[in-house]
Amino acid sequence: MEFGSSVLEELSIAGDTAHISDQCFNILVTHACQGLLAASNRDDIANDTSFKDTDKGSLKSAYSGLVTLITEATKWDAEPSSIGAVLEECKFTIDRINSFNNIYLAKKPLIQILLGSIGKSPPHIVDVDWRLDYYIKNNHLDKVNQPVYLITLKTEIPGNSELQEIQFSCSMEQLQDLVGKLKDSTKCLEKIGQM
Amino acid sequence: MEEVDNIIIHSLRSIGCELDDELTNLKQFSTEVIVATIVKCIKFIKNEVELPSTLPPGMSARFRIGASLANHIQDMGYNGEIGYQTFLYSNETEIRKVFMFLVEKLPKDTTQTSDEPIGASVLLQRAIAAKLHQQMTSPWTPHYLKDRGITWRGKPPSWQREGAACMYNYNSQHLSRPEGLTDLTRKIPKEIRNYYSTSLPFVTNQCRHHRDTFASVIESNTAEVAKQQEWENEWNHSGLASRLSKQEFIDKKKSKIQKMIADRLRQDAKRDSSGTSSLSDLQQVMAAISSRAKTDARTKGSRFAHSEKLLFSKDEDASLAQMSGEIPTKDTEEEQQRKREEEMQSLRDELGELTSKLESLELEIKKFSATQQQLEESINTENRQIDDKESSYNVKKKTMDLLPDAENNIVKLQGVVETSTQRLVTLANKWETHRAPLIQQYRELKSLTSQKESEAQKKLAEIRAFREKMKEVADEVRYKEDLQKQLQSEYERMAKDVNRSAYTRKILEIVANIKKQKQEIDKVLVDTKLIQKEINSLSGKLDRTFTVTDELIFRDAKKDEAVKKAYRFLAALHENCELLISTVEETGVIMREIRDLEDQIENESGKKVLANLEKITQDYQEMKKENSVLMSKLKQKQ
Amino acid sequence: MLLVLEDEHKKHLSFLPSVDIAVVKEFCRISMEFIRKGTNPKVYTSAAQKLGVEADQVQNGVEGLMYLLTESSKLMLNQVDYQDSIIVLGFSEDLREMLLQLYKENRKEVRTILSEISMDLPHYRNLEWRFDVQLASRSLRRQTTPLILFKLHTESYGEQESHILQTDPVNLVHLTKVLDEALQEMKSPYCRRIVRNIK
Repeated sequence: MEFGSSVLEELSIAGDTAHISDQCFNILVTHACQGLLAASNRDDIANDTSFKDTDKGSLKSAYSGLVTLITEATKWDAEPSSIGAVLEECKFTIDRINSFNNIYLAKKPLIQILLGSIGKSPPHIVDVDWRLDYYIKNNHLDKVNQPVYLITLKTEIPGNSELQEIQFSCSMEQLQDLVGKLKDSTKCLEKIGQM
Repeated sequence: MEEVDNIIIHSLRSIGCELDDELTNLKQFSTEVIVATIVKCIKFIKNEVELPSTLPPGMSARFRIGASLANHIQDMGYNGEIGYQTFLYSNETEIRKVFMFLVEKLPKDTTQTSDEPIGASVLLQRAIAAKLHQQMTSPWTPHYLKDRGITWRGKPPSWQREGAACMYNYNSQHLSRPEGLTDLTRKIPKEIRNYYSTSLPFVTNQCRHHRDTFASVIESNTAEVAKQQEWENEWNHSGLASRLSKQEFIDKKKSKIQKMIADRLRQDAKRDSSGTSSLSDLQQVMAAISSRAKTDARTKGSRFAHSEKLLFSKDEDASLAQMSGEIPTKDTEEEQQRKREEEMQSLRDELGELTSKLESLELEIKKFSATQQQLEESINTENRQIDDKESSYNVKKKTMDLLPDAENNIVKLQGVVETSTQRLVTLANKWETHRAPLIQQYRELKSLTSQKESEAQKKLAEIRAFREKMKEVADEVRYKEDLQKQLQSEYERMAKDVNRSAYTRKILEIVANIKKQKQEIDKVLVDTKLIQKEINSLSGKLDRTFTVTDELIFRDAKKDEAVKKAYRFLAALHENCELLISTVEETGVIMREIRDLEDQIENESGKKVLANLEKITQDYQEMKKENSVLMSKLKQKQ
Repeated sequence: MLLVLEDEHKKHLSFLPSVDIAVVKEFCRISMEFIRKGTNPKVYTSAAQKLGVEADQVQNGVEGLMYLLTESSKLMLNQVDYQDSIIVLGFSEDLREMLLQLYKENRKEVRTILSEISMDLPHYRNLEWRFDVQLASRSLRRQTTPLILFKLHTESYGEQESHILQTDPVNLVHLTKVLDEALQEMKSPYCRRIVRNIK
């Protein structure tokens, strides 16, 4: 976890009682978390009346510093102690460090989810449907008499809330092969999970 | 001894010996169990040992195993008495000693693998296994029940992603933040300050899509960190050595880069021989670059554009003129064609003429300019000559003026010469007087500067060393922190070792017991001493009383017969009493002996001599039988 | 079940008894060849020249044989039914025997050829899988996200296609379970009864 000097400066504004008063600090940290988490809260801090006595320039500085700290700390999965060390360097009091950690740690998993969602991914299988048909005849052939499975894999594609489908048919033997391979992989995972 | 046995049994179990739960002390160990456990221990201590883990039925084979076990244990450095009999005809104390020795010898890391810090890869493997286990065991839910493919499981709740619909790309964009608010030395213009406080949106409200905020925040911080590192590197490498201030170093670098660009451009321009006009243009550009780097692009662009525009406009004009010239002539096609050709021919001729004229004119111009230069040069030389001649004329004129009154003038001149030489000498003297201290000062200053320089060099080296050290220390700190974290997690993960605390508790108990015992022993000792003292004092008293009585009665005995008798009685009494005392003492001694013997008996009975004897005789019989069987076999073979 | 021959078909086949039995045998070979690889009109004309008959007649005879073969194979006629079906043609015993031989030898192949031209859905060919653990990403440097990657190969009308898919352990377990259930379904008494009854 490393920070540019401008971020450290911004953090020291956030830690300075001359700029951000004690009662404002907690609200500021909460806003920083919320503003990152939800699009609907992104501008909440601008409308909060608690900051009417605070200089808006320093408030924006402090806010951006905290936002950077929260993002980086989550990115590196930093321990509260190492966050504390960074904040101490920016002349935070112990009380402020503790209250920051308290507010941040409660929101950390949610931020992790969002950070973990950044990236690419092939279609992700989330469900499967199947249908069993008994194939009797077609226009070229009588008495085929075979079971045929129609299998639909339902997948999620990044950035698309609709499910996509991949459909294919299987004879009994082919399904046996497929299930065998899937069972293989499941067993392999179980074995690793038991280690 | 119970504690010792417990510890031994526990350690034996921990290396994988299968012992019954009922076994609580070594007395209960049968020969088979003893041999099996000892073989296991030896195999644990020395990896490559071939020993059967169960006792064979044959007596001679048993004997061999016993002997080889004894050998192995002696090889390990056991210096007590040991032989096959120790295992086959065990007695508790000897076996205990052997086990204590073996348990001591057991490799520590196998008994307690968790002592050493575990490598990062193992930790990772475990983390993966734990995560996987958790996911494999968690129930499946349909996608429409999950919030963006995320489910929360376990306690404390942790999330896992079971879908990809929520994934999005890493898109970052520039974020603007208030700058330099803490730096009081820098003045921020009022307008910018105003912009910061009223118009600038908060960072979370700057991206077009809110979800890009994370990427943008990460990116802006990373960019800054990278820039700082790069600068740090350069400053450490070449910046410090140049001994300039940071600002100066930056300026120098900037000018160097500008110069480099200018050089490159110049070289390229020289190579480009197509047009002299563009060359001169570029040279002008270069001049502009070296004077003011910021405006170079603009000047270049505008100049090129300008010249281009000129060219094009000329062409256009010409074509326009041609077109307008053609319109009025409306003859037949052929005529037109012919006319056109004629016209073209004439125009071409004209053009040829004009170009040749132009060329000759250019040649003339060149010639003229060359002659002009020559003429200018000659004018210059003439002018110089004129100057020279004028000065020599002046000198000559003065001498001519002085000639009429030659004598006087010579004297005067000599005087002037003398005074001037004198003045010269005085001046030289004066200069000397001035010069000496100045030189002195100069030397001092020089030495001072060199001293300072060397000092600075030293300091620089120091600074560099410090920086390196700083970096090293920082690395070390980071490494140690990692290690600490790792160990911490390891410690938390570690099942709190039960038997360790049990051991310590037992040890503490034992120590307390020993203390108590010692106190009691002390008490008994004090008692004994007291009694001894009493006995001593009593016997002394007795002696004294006896001598006094003896003397008294002996004195009277000469006079009185009855007293004589009394004296004899006294002597007898004394003798009897002494006998009594000695008897009592003897009984004490005997009692002690009896106790000793009892102890010995107990000791001996602990050694299971009788049972072992029986066993030995049995085994002996068996051996005999085996031998006889073997003999008979031998005979049969013969 | 009998194969009911149409009149025109009978007429076309009636050419066969008029030529030598060896020639019919050759016709049989040619018709099988044509079923495999498609017709070749040149063969008809050259054969007609040799036999001294109209090329149409040869063509009708061979194509009649081809039709007879494919129709009876399509219906999976057993030997008795097949024999009963061609009795109406009024051929000699030798000829009938030869036609039976032709049917017996080639039914299986003809059925495979027929099944190849039947309607085809994309069907399963192979599945490859591998297990990954995502340890870090640009924006989240410490994570352990187990992922299973699949490469699913499917085939449709001889054209192969592959899909790259991914899933997580929870869904993998679910997928395996559901598909295994599907597989077991075929062995259930209900399905067996249906299969038995359809035969």
